Amino acid sequence: MAKQRGRGMAAIEYPTGMNQGGDPSQCWVKLKPDGRVDVLSGTVDLGQGAKTIQTQIVAEVLGVPTDWVTFDNSNTDTSPLCTGSFASRATFMGGNAARIAAERARERVLDIASRLLEVDAADLDIDEGEVFVKGATEKRVGVPDVAAAATWQFGELITGTGAYLKPYANVDPETGRTDRNPHAGISYGACVADVEVDDETGAVAVTKLIQVYDVGRAINPMFVEGQLQGGGIMGLSFGLLESSYPYYPSVEHRGSEFGSYLSASIEGLPEVETVLLENPDVDGPFGAKGVGEMASNGIGPAIVAAIHDAIGIWVTESPITPERVLRALDEKAGGGGEPRRDGKRYVFDESLSVNALATGISFEVNV
Amino acid sequence: MRAVGARVEKVDGIGHVTGQTTFVDDWRIPGMLWAKVLRSPHDHAAITKLDVAPALAVPGVRAVITHEDVPKNVLGHLEGLGVPADEPLLAESDVRWKGQPIAVVAADSEEAALAGVAAIGVSFEERPALLDVRLAFEADAPKAHHWGNWFPHFGGPDTPPDHRKIRKGDIDAAFEQADAIVQGVYRPNAIEQMPVEPQVCACVPESNGRLTIHSCTQGVYFTMGIVAGHLGVPLNRLKFIAGTVGGGFGGKVESWTEPVVALLALKTGKPVKLRFTREEEFLCTSTRAPWHIEIADAVTSDGWILGRKMLTLHDAGAYARFSPYGVTKHSFHIAGSYAIPNIHFDGYVVFTNRTPTSAMRGFGVTSVSWTIETQMSRIASVLGLDPYEVRLRNASRIGDTTPNWVTLHDPSSVPVIQAAAEAAGVELTADYRTMTRDPRSGDLLPEWLEGQLGDLDAKES
Repeated sequence: MAKQRGRGMAAIEYPTGMNQGGDPSQCWVKLKPDGRVDVLSGTVDLGQGAKTIQTQIVAEVLGVPTDWVTFDNSNTDTSPLCTGSFASRATFMGGNAARIAAERARERVLDIASRLLEVDAADLDIDEGEVFVKGATEKRVGVPDVAAAATWQFGELITGTGAYLKPYANVDPETGRTDRNPHAGISYGACVADVEVDDETGAVAVTKLIQVYDVGRAINPMFVEGQLQGGGIMGLSFGLLESSYPYYPSVEHRGSEFGSYLSASIEGLPEVETVLLENPDVDGPFGAKGVGEMASNGIGPAIVAAIHDAIGIWVTESPITPERVLRALDEKAGGGGEPRRDGKRYVFDESLSVNALATGISFEVNV
Repeated sequence: MRAVGARVEKVDGIGHVTGQTTFVDDWRIPGMLWAKVLRSPHDHAAITKLDVAPALAVPGVRAVITHEDVPKNVLGHLEGLGVPADEPLLAESDVRWKGQPIAVVAADSEEAALAGVAAIGVSFEERPALLDVRLAFEADAPKAHHWGNWFPHFGGPDTPPDHRKIRKGDIDAAFEQADAIVQGVYRPNAIEQMPVEPQVCACVPESNGRLTIHSCTQGVYFTMGIVAGHLGVPLNRLKFIAGTVGGGFGGKVESWTEPVVALLALKTGKPVKLRFTREEEFLCTSTRAPWHIEIADAVTSDGWILGRKMLTLHDAGAYARFSPYGVTKHSFHIAGSYAIPNIHFDGYVVFTNRTPTSAMRGFGVTSVSWTIETQMSRIASVLGLDPYEVRLRNASRIGDTTPNWVTLHDPSSVPVIQAAAEAAGVELTADYRTMTRDPRSGDLLPEWLEGQLGDLDAKES
């Protein structure tokens, strides 16, 4: 009886945007008379930081400090449509709408500035809230002065609207072939889990997680790391602890409060090492890809592999409870647990198969 | 770049951590009523009697709504994606899951509303329940759904096939050619989204006839469309105050509280709030689906995957919700980070008498990752290969196609696996250490992968 160590890994990919597309986001940017910027958007902030992400994107495009930008998604009388904060789409779709709206507002800023500076708009750039002539940086005018001139001198509102829509992809019902790309982008990741398995109690402790993600471009690395670390722990919790139906398929004994539903908590979390790769997406705002959801997908199977590495069992039902670990160890001790060999076939988990208990449906491999 | 790439603090972060942010449940509106829900105590039953009159006699109770009060009670949420309407806002003649809402009471206090719920006269005739997706196809299985036990509209409304199919290449030839076939069964279970903030909604009827709705939805315009659809009103009758949410993880795509509270506000002429208890949040809102997946991979002795056959039974619970969407998304990702030339997939949305399942973080793909990555680990184990190298060998490259024939222009499978090996201190052999995502050639383009290559020059949108 001892604690056995093991390591496992998994590689994953995940789409950005609603499957099959057709999920628009819209945005409206306008300048106040002192050059401060309002971003009106329907993108919901779930705590992931959507308000701040669009604030950063608009500040970047307009060349103004982030604290000049106010993001407002508070009500539908002023905010245009965003399909929603799901499908890992808020940064990509909402961010693109904000980027496009800001680019159009920027064109208006440069147009007004070109009149003030008597320089062609194409020769102008904006940085830190000032419009300047490229190559002659002493010739400049502040964005607040541009906004004031637009308001009081030219009688204009500096504004820009943006919308982003991935066209809908149709699916052939007989082959699954789509007539166009059904996603807006794809992100990739790879995870490594180190575990310690107590072969007397069946308890599995995850001692370290390594996770590598290609995020395209981290608009805010702190938020991306937060998504990936939180998602990684959610993946650990899914793999080892959580179940809405502890005796699935039975609906009895469901947990109905935090005290009767086991999930990961801050206590006893492993060290998590997160590595960001930035391979920009051709369509994402500044190259960003969606990463919010995929963070919870790779850790579970990495833990499954690590447990096999540690004690030679495969548990393919989640969560991997101590009871399931001990049952698998018992089966192994009795000479079971290995795949049945049938010619070149290695058949695992036969007792779980539809073939073992159903007549109305089967899973056949013809060799 | 100054703003993009910067570690800017969250614009509302200080408010969140100091308790200053206004979330939906913080709204207290003068004269506000509280709502409570009568729910099914049975997994499956006919409603034989529903009498709300005793509830209206309870002190403090102002209104009760049933399905008869809903202008459009059965409304599809994904009809634009070919998923016809199947689920009533409030149960009509039968209930198909324990917890299904039947009636909602609005009263001066939550206690009075609960007393009203308890006073409603309701009786049932229990029916057998279907709970195991593997038994849904038996001739004598209980009928969980009026469409039958699995979603029949994958070709569009009232149009077969009755499941999602992927057919790419020739799976039988791959099995024939294989040196080994590795089979397994995978059952990732349901879990809760568990947001800190449970479902909550408040609605204020304004003097100009508009409804102001305080909502914690993840998709404001999505939910506004659902309220407009149930009530039969244009969008300018509605104003949503929303956008700041105490966690969603997919659970707050569910848009049930908003139309219910709007109907009660219209019926009473007063502001109404409905907030789920933690117990309701756990038991009566959608979970992630439980999945049953069987898979057989045709492989060569040096670790090439020639083909994959897969059967997926997705446990949708009692109604479709987003499940058909989830299974289609699932089907497009069954090859994961790899190029697999021959694929045969059948995926069923199976109805059972449990709380309807729906969106959660990783929707449709968490189950794929659990399944196919354990398969990859098993393949490496059975063949005695390195788990990094068997993945790198099969990893997608520029020009490869997905199961649904989308050409990949810039996959990062190779660099993320290499980086993970490096971070873990795993020494890859030279061939794998120097591998790139470049288009296939030489040893990385064996004859069985030639037919799956896509056209990189084709215009994609």
